[in-house]
Amino acid sequence: MGGVDVGGGGGGKRKSLDSEINMIPMIDLLMVTISFLLITAVWTHMARINSDAQVPGPPRPDVEQEKVEPEKQLNVQMQAEDKFVLVWKQGATTVDSIDVPRKDVVMQEGPVEVVRFPDLAAKIESEWKAKGQHSNPTDRKLDQAILHTDNKTEFKYIVGVIDAIYQTHRDLTLGGKTEKAPAFNITFAVN
Amino acid sequence: MPLQTPTRRLMHHVGLEFVAKKVTGGGHRSVNAGLSLTSMIDFLVVTVVFLLMTFSASGETPIAKGLNLPKAENTLDMIDSPVVAVVGSQILVDGSPAGNTRAVEESDRMQRVDELFNILKSKRELWKQTHPNKDFPGVVVLEIDQNIKAVVVKSVFQTAAFAGFPNVSFMVNSIPKTG
Repeated sequence: MGGVDVGGGGGGKRKSLDSEINMIPMIDLLMVTISFLLITAVWTHMARINSDAQVPGPPRPDVEQEKVEPEKQLNVQMQAEDKFVLVWKQGATTVDSIDVPRKDVVMQEGPVEVVRFPDLAAKIESEWKAKGQHSNPTDRKLDQAILHTDNKTEFKYIVGVIDAIYQTHRDLTLGGKTEKAPAFNITFAVN
Repeated sequence: MPLQTPTRRLMHHVGLEFVAKKVTGGGHRSVNAGLSLTSMIDFLVVTVVFLLMTFSASGETPIAKGLNLPKAENTLDMIDSPVVAVVGSQILVDGSPAGNTRAVEESDRMQRVDELFNILKSKRELWKQTHPNKDFPGVVVLEIDQNIKAVVVKSVFQTAAFAGFPNVSFMVNSIPKTG
């Protein structure tokens, strides 16, 4: 039992001001709470990384198509073993091409190999700041990144590159509220 | 307990060690042990607070057995959508078999997985029937092992897209951001 002494006392006829709190129900409650929280605890936090397949809709012969100038797109090529190639393309025209030396940062976490490309992430960010077309916070459209990979590349390396592309963030104002959002939307090259 | 002015103790010359010995077990070590409740309650409260802070009401997304998901920093929260898992060469849609990737692996060429295509297409039709006045979100989450080859990833990705799910996400384990 836990005792609480609030002082005083005074004359012998007065009721004692000392009182006791029963600790057992409190400890029971704490124990039950801990048991419940431990049983329902989720230790692994799943998340997702987004991409967009950009499938063209069915052609509408009845609607006259407006001629729109194609936007610049960042093509990230990861076929070479020693470098990444960043190619800005506008339609079929190559605007710029940059080689980034490939330095894989691989960390072993249990059975999972975490692959990261910090140099690539930094270069993509600087490229977007220089050539990105949708940097205005009120512009809801994102710049497009297209990932080129060979068939034998393992998925963990693909995720590493997607993670590096998503490291570039921009301000996006939605409903009067400005927040950070990825600067690129990612899709895969078909070939 | 009220405080009292100390007074002179009577018969202080009489040794009372024998009384203390009697009470505590005749000179042997006492069998009664004291437990400090304060530190115990402190520990319990700290544990409860920690567990409450890490508590997630959204629950756990089931992961197929034998699957090692890759890890990434720049992630989004999970959403409620069909989950396509690639475990070994087996494809599962929401836990049900939906074909395999053997043909893709053997040919080493990107191609449509017909069984997966049909199941996803029927899921899309079902959603449209049950939500007649809403736009179809077209979201699907791919749950793929870290060592699966890109040709399989791209084949499943394109199959999902052509089945009417162009908004494809990859399930990963989230790691804290560095820098």
